[in-house]
Amino acid sequence: MVHIRLSEEAEQLVRKDLKTEKQKKYNFDFFIDEEKYIRWEDVEIGMEAWSEKEFEVKEEDIKAYLEATDNYNPVFWEEGVAPPMFLTTIAFWLIGDSFVGSWIKTPGAINPGQKIEFYEPIKVGDVIRVKMRAHDKFIKREKRYLTYYNEFVNQRGEIVAKWWGTLILPISKSKEEHKIEGVRR
Amino acid sequence: MRFEDLELEQLLPTIEVKVTQEMITRFACASLDFNPIHIDPVWAKKINLLGYGKTIAHGQWTIDKLTQVVTNWCYAEGGKLKSIDIKLIHPIFAGDTIKFNGKVVAKHPRREDSFCEIELWAENQNGEKVAVGVAEVFIK
Repeated sequence: MVHIRLSEEAEQLVRKDLKTEKQKKYNFDFFIDEEKYIRWEDVEIGMEAWSEKEFEVKEEDIKAYLEATDNYNPVFWEEGVAPPMFLTTIAFWLIGDSFVGSWIKTPGAINPGQKIEFYEPIKVGDVIRVKMRAHDKFIKREKRYLTYYNEFVNQRGEIVAKWWGTLILPISKSKEEHKIEGVRR
Repeated sequence: MRFEDLELEQLLPTIEVKVTQEMITRFACASLDFNPIHIDPVWAKKINLLGYGKTIAHGQWTIDKLTQVVTNWCYAEGGKLKSIDIKLIHPIFAGDTIKFNGKVVAKHPRREDSFCEIELWAENQNGEKVAVGVAEVFIK
């Protein structure tokens, strides 16, 4: 089996933009361990789990996100409050690195849209965890959708966000399917 | 800004962005979403991703920009995002110029926590809608 990995061109671009401690720690090659990610076929509706990790919000995390999104609103820069969609970073740290949520890192997964409710603001010093529950999976127009309901809470147990997160996953990760699609291996 | 003064059909200031691969990769690092569909042009070409063979911008970046239309508009005056529901309907590529727009479409008066609905949409340089959705926003 030939192991696929990121191209050198992509890796070089990524390496020059890694700034925070979390970014440097995170495995940016989503092909590595791909075979261990949970698959669409494996998900049973209702299965739930807490994230194994926590996300301690540091000033550098919020600032790196604001810079990357060209967001210079002083409300976020001066008050240590995270912009709403900083939740994406938290999700990849917590969900992507949990076994039951590893599917969000599947190479080739497509984002069809998201639904999120926001509650308590996320601030520097907060420690965020998430409870994930497999909410729905369905096939529509020959595409496989998977939705998890994710409840993010802070260190006081207050809900900071509810996120119905959906992705369209590649038809199958079996070796034969990928051979047919010419995707890999 | 006061809830009472909001007008239906009122437009929010637009954000316009020219997308580059560097910008997409920068967002990958900030969001930790390193999916190769975003960051690896070589792989995207090899598998002919979505029939285009090019990397695509993160849907989460698009959603972020749409929420920025709201936060730029009202956060300095105490507004707060209550919810978003966004559909991503067309891929965004490096080289595209995207306009992110918002419009007040409904008002929900409450004794406390009045909120409005903002229709959000993004369109590319060809006038194609790439994302549509709704945000609910608390306005004092």
